[in-house]
Amino acid sequence: MSEPLKKVVIVPCSGIGKSYGTVSRVAAYKVTEEDSPDKTQLLPLALLVMGDEDSQKILATNQAITIDGCKLACATKMVQENGGDVARSFAVLDVFRRYRDFKPQGIGELNEGGEKLAEALAKEINAVVEELSAPKEGATHA
Amino acid sequence: MPELPQKKVGIIACSGEELPEGTVTRLAALKVLEKLRPSDTVTICLPLFLAGGEGDRAFAKFYPTIAVDGCDKRCAYRATEKYSNKPAAGIVIKDLIEKHHIQKPQGTRRLDAAGQEAVAAAAEEIATKVDELLGKAWSRRQGTFAETSQSDQPQEEVEATCSCGSGIPIQKVQVNGQELSLVALPLIFQNLFQLGKTLGNETGHEIMEMVKIYNSIDSSVEADVESAVFEAYTDYYRQQEVKA
Repeated sequence: MSEPLKKVVIVPCSGIGKSYGTVSRVAAYKVTEEDSPDKTQLLPLALLVMGDEDSQKILATNQAITIDGCKLACATKMVQENGGDVARSFAVLDVFRRYRDFKPQGIGELNEGGEKLAEALAKEINAVVEELSAPKEGATHA
Repeated sequence: MPELPQKKVGIIACSGEELPEGTVTRLAALKVLEKLRPSDTVTICLPLFLAGGEGDRAFAKFYPTIAVDGCDKRCAYRATEKYSNKPAAGIVIKDLIEKHHIQKPQGTRRLDAAGQEAVAAAAEEIATKVDELLGKAWSRRQGTFAETSQSDQPQEEVEATCSCGSGIPIQKVQVNGQELSLVALPLIFQNLFQLGKTLGNETGHEIMEMVKIYNSIDSSVEADVESAVFEAYTDYYRQQEVKA
């Protein structure tokens, strides 16, 4: 017996002052709008800051992937603060350490390195989305 | 010498990632921070009011703040008010596009032409409010402020940086048996000590004038606050003398 398919909630950093914040957002858009729109849902951080009830309901019934643009990890903290289950948290800086050729620059608009880093990050997120979305075998009784 | 940050205006965008209007708030804020008023504006990420420290939550006490929201939920305005201080002004993009007869923007990651138009209009409105809050008149023809000589230079474009984690220093003093947090007080003390301001009534008044730039002090307790901050400065002064 399989569990019903749920959507994975993607919560990016809403950073405005660093390129890494933009990378987190672009990666989130790639996943939720282009790569896995049927399996994922974007949840904005601003709603969580205000403890929006609808957003809390979404978090209560779905697993979340957070993407943080800096060490302050607002996305992860906000999901936890709102009672969500963080299935996996990504830190853009860690991802950059794995792809040092892709140095992001720009905030409103990313440079080529930033776009490539966002793409690499999106691939890693997609892999986790696939894992989380895979139907799990329910417990069976003899 | 430690420098007290000049009076600037804080811009807080909701950045709502799920709505085109949220993207408008972010890009409009960036335009003001980087191009239109780089010398007069600062920003902080909205979630830091919860996820950050006390210094982050002091942001809107330190800076008069403009909250820029994409929709009627007004998360930026309400969160700023709830966790930091009441914003000095608020802009809602949905209202702004109606006022300017702009079509509803489309696209979250990449805005369409209407979205770009909304960004330009919102940025202009934010910049106007920045000028109002700073009491300056901006000459559109000359691209300069009309008033003070310091502002008569065109502002150089910069890349926006946030104040995330920078933490505005605060210090607590006891006023009539109650604890009062005063933004920037440690910097004020450092500054005055290094200027050689000794312990005297004149220094007490001077501290108070600086405290009032960054903190809203009820006039009914002003004398008590002045007395408390002078006492705190006396402690600080003596500690510095011992170190010297």
